Amino acid sequence: MKSFLGKRAVASAISLIALVILVFFLSRLTGDPTSLYLPVDASLESRAQFRELHGLNDPLIVQFFHYIGDLARFDFGDSIRRSEPALDAVLRAFVWTLQLAVITMTLVTIAAIVVGSLAAFRVGGLFDRIATFFSLIGSSAPDFWIAIVAIVIFSVNLGWVPTSGTGTVWHWILPISVLFIRPFGLILQIVRGSMISALSSAYVKTARAKGVRNKSIIFIHALRNAMLPVVTVIGDQAAALLNGAVVVETVFGFPGVGKLMIDSILQRDFTVVLAAIFVTAVAIFVMNILIDILYAVLDPRIRY
Amino acid sequence: MTHKLGRFAAALLATTIAGSAFAQDGSLTIVLSEELDVVEPCMASRSNIGRVVLQNIAETVTELVPGEGLKPRLATSWEDMGGGTWRFKLREGVSFSDGSTFDANDVAHSIARTTGEAIVCEIGAKFFGGMALTTDVVDDYTIDITADPAQPILPLLMSTMAVVPAETPMDSFVKTPIGTGPYTFDEYNVGQNIKLSARDDYWGDAPAVTTATYLFRSDSAVRAAMVATGEADIAPNIALQDATDAGMDFSYPNSETVYLRVDNETPPLNDVRVRKALNYAVDREAFVGTILANGTLLATGMTPPSTIGYNHDLKPFPYDPAKAKELLAEAKADGVPTDTKITLIGRTNNFGNVLETMEALLQMYQDAGFNMELKMYEVAEWVDFYSKPFAEDRGPQLVEAQHDNANGDPVFSMYFKYHTEGLQSGAADPKIDEMIAAATAATGAEREQLWSDLFAYIHGESVTDVLLFHMVGFSRVNTRLDFEPTIKTNSELQLAQIGFK
Amino acid sequence: MAYTDPQDALPDVLPDAPPAWVSVLRMLWRDKFALCAAIFLLIVICCAIFGPMLLEDQAMRNNLRGRNAPPFDFSKDWKLWLGGDALGRPLLARIIVAAQNTIMVAAGAVICSVLIGTTLGLIAGYTTNTTSQVIMRLADVIMSFPSLLLAVIVLYMLSPSVGNIIIVLAITRIPVYLRTTRAEVLEIRGRMFVQAAQVMGASTLRIVFRHILPVVFPTLVTIATLDFAFVMLAESSLSFLGIGIQPPEITWGLMVAQGRSYLTNAWWLSFMPGLAIILTTLSLNLLSNWMRTALDPVQRWRLEISRTKND
Repeated sequence: MKSFLGKRAVASAISLIALVILVFFLSRLTGDPTSLYLPVDASLESRAQFRELHGLNDPLIVQFFHYIGDLARFDFGDSIRRSEPALDAVLRAFVWTLQLAVITMTLVTIAAIVVGSLAAFRVGGLFDRIATFFSLIGSSAPDFWIAIVAIVIFSVNLGWVPTSGTGTVWHWILPISVLFIRPFGLILQIVRGSMISALSSAYVKTARAKGVRNKSIIFIHALRNAMLPVVTVIGDQAAALLNGAVVVETVFGFPGVGKLMIDSILQRDFTVVLAAIFVTAVAIFVMNILIDILYAVLDPRIRY
Repeated sequence: MTHKLGRFAAALLATTIAGSAFAQDGSLTIVLSEELDVVEPCMASRSNIGRVVLQNIAETVTELVPGEGLKPRLATSWEDMGGGTWRFKLREGVSFSDGSTFDANDVAHSIARTTGEAIVCEIGAKFFGGMALTTDVVDDYTIDITADPAQPILPLLMSTMAVVPAETPMDSFVKTPIGTGPYTFDEYNVGQNIKLSARDDYWGDAPAVTTATYLFRSDSAVRAAMVATGEADIAPNIALQDATDAGMDFSYPNSETVYLRVDNETPPLNDVRVRKALNYAVDREAFVGTILANGTLLATGMTPPSTIGYNHDLKPFPYDPAKAKELLAEAKADGVPTDTKITLIGRTNNFGNVLETMEALLQMYQDAGFNMELKMYEVAEWVDFYSKPFAEDRGPQLVEAQHDNANGDPVFSMYFKYHTEGLQSGAADPKIDEMIAAATAATGAEREQLWSDLFAYIHGESVTDVLLFHMVGFSRVNTRLDFEPTIKTNSELQLAQIGFK
Repeated sequence: MAYTDPQDALPDVLPDAPPAWVSVLRMLWRDKFALCAAIFLLIVICCAIFGPMLLEDQAMRNNLRGRNAPPFDFSKDWKLWLGGDALGRPLLARIIVAAQNTIMVAAGAVICSVLIGTTLGLIAGYTTNTTSQVIMRLADVIMSFPSLLLAVIVLYMLSPSVGNIIIVLAITRIPVYLRTTRAEVLEIRGRMFVQAAQVMGASTLRIVFRHILPVVFPTLVTIATLDFAFVMLAESSLSFLGIGIQPPEITWGLMVAQGRSYLTNAWWLSFMPGLAIILTTLSLNLLSNWMRTALDPVQRWRLEISRTKND
């Protein structure tokens, strides 16, 4: 296990560097931030002055070595838009995103596994039909619909929760509920599918034949085996949340990393884009390592 | 936890009893359309920064009041000393929110900082490009400002200059703005809110609003909902679709003009008949009250009608597709390549319903016989088409753009949009260049007349572009407030002007 | 589309008589949900093929007086039964015409990502450690590369055409198939029957395609059908930000994005195309669930028993 972790850490560090290089050069292909930062009426002199101040006049390769040099000292540079260190802006936003992602994915995982396995127990039954139907609708509906309709119903008409913002526990209810829906539907379907296969597979039958009568033991046994694809898809969905829940952040005014990243990409604020990708990538890499360890825990035949 | 629940209960109460929970204490919540990147006074020409900082925190030397003209603010009077120099007498007994006294050195420092090399300030880049400003502090409350080349409207330009203390660093943006305004900047919880509170030692009248909280929501429907539930008091900018409650929603001219910049150099657009046809082919009236708000005005000039020198005698082009076809046929008979494909370029999310507007325009042009295609671009790409240098092999282009001039004088628009050297100009007409130069140098009634002539020439003779609309914006205001938005609401929101009913 | 070819899914297990398609249809008839789903998908496919030819002009024609015409007014022309959009264009006609681009983008992106992801996943699960490491870390990189940035890069340099949108969306969806496949391969590789096949001298290719792929396939299909919705909505948000497909081209996603600002006062503008997305996804999923049961001899009894009970 120790050597696995060591190797993975090294390999992940290499891909992190590759990612930074890739993003650095590719993002510069998308245009010059000068014309976005300054008003369209700005004179050519102020444009030149802006480029000079932010080092945009240097050849790309020089800019790159500057950047890498600073990065080695863990300095991500200053944001062009915000005149503060890019990493500060990113970390401040990432804390919110991380909380949102962890809470949502925990709820989703529990709910999807419970509902999904119950649905699989009686394929084609009423519970299965209802669960499948509603989870599919929820997971294929545009999320801004759900968000805005939820605000109109629960805040404006009923007055139960605040429309948006942060501050109290109540502010979290709508964003989390809206975020919950899509991954819940997807993961529920995966749990249901894998459980159907697992419950009809040879070893569950063997267990039955051997006289294991206790339903819950069969259930847990099957569940453990059905978990591999479930864990993978949970990882995929969690990664999407770690990259930021843009719609929810935008609608509910949640200061997360998704909105920050979108704004920075659209405004060509390269230092923030890079810092944001770096931070989320580290989180995603760590999560993938945990998932790979989880595979081995779930199925002892898998070794690294 | 009990505290949190208490606040929630208060919010709940507010939703049911229409905000009465806040009414006594003079606090106000304003919801802006986007988070502020910086809170630097020299960037206050950006709408949302201006709505927080301008005249609330940092005041200007002079102030342009809608309907009244240029008024004193930190200056009490000014006079033209000749040779490009203006002398400003400054107000005495004014202090900054950090306690220091306001004097002429602060103005000199603010000018140097805003137009300096060490930081790029939007106010400097937008209003003071192409001129050199030198200051001479005569005494504590008198300052001479000299512009090279001479600026007849220097006092008006000074209505954009936010004054900061002389101690403000030259080479970095401030995190906590300090100014002479009626409010202090208390805190900025990035991502969540900005808080201001009223000062005791403000030189002017004490405002009714004692504290103000700014929130940020990008979605217009949410901003409207927040005012409806009492979570916010003012949403300065909501979409036409969300302005559904006549009791709370106000429309105001937002100083924006929408037009199509025509590339006058490239055939077939270099032929005046083709440009006229472009104007006759658009049914401008069909937009108003449908895709665009009621109250939208048909434009005959680049600046809003309240600007000096706006030519009110000009009539918008009527919708006359037959005439457009006729003009096109005439041009074609003379060998103008009218069949060339013209690209109509739009900017996504430029204003509410821009996409619908562009699709409707496209159809009108196709119906009139133009060979045209529509391309929508996000701002970063759109700017490459809108601003010089233009691409060499671009082909004929019409670029949709929205231009904002709330500063009362066409000089802020005409050079950029029409001069041969102007960065967004599609024209290269020596006559226009001369007229702009003459009007810029003139003063008083002569200046007004020269601008007026220029508007007439551009609209009637040169038909340089396709002028479309003077736009309106919508604000939603809680009914407990005594406040009506004006043309200035697009760039500032003076808390001191807001009262409670 | 991948799921329509049962040969991939479960080779060698279908009984010989009667002809396969007859028994498939018979089983489809027994499950009314799946039947409806199949019919709906057929209609969508017909719209995608013939819609633009027949209705393109009507779908593009503005009519500012009929702006935001409310839906379900059956006294009007049938094309306006689902209402009119912000320029008075008939929504139903637009949805039909947009089916082509939408299906092309969604199917294109999903099929590409499934093919590439699965292939890489099989390789990663079944080869040496080093190759596997390289592939998996590549997946990490893709996973942490924001799709919006990818879209901006590709579409800034190239034009926002259907083909380029497919490339962008396909790349961002590769990792989930890759990781799923590889995880399953790691597990199956250890199972008895694969080890037996290895002992009996079966080639790697044969083991992968005959023994491993059929086991992984159902999970992949489940993810893929739900990804249809995801891809259409992702395309919608790209259009909303001004980077995706732009008018006069139309897709359901673009229509949803265009209707967004009207949600509180003309809900049908984004609801109708959104409903088309939901129904398509729902149908695909019901059909794939049915297929999974119907084509698997181990599980087919469920379908038959549940039917006899309910009948």
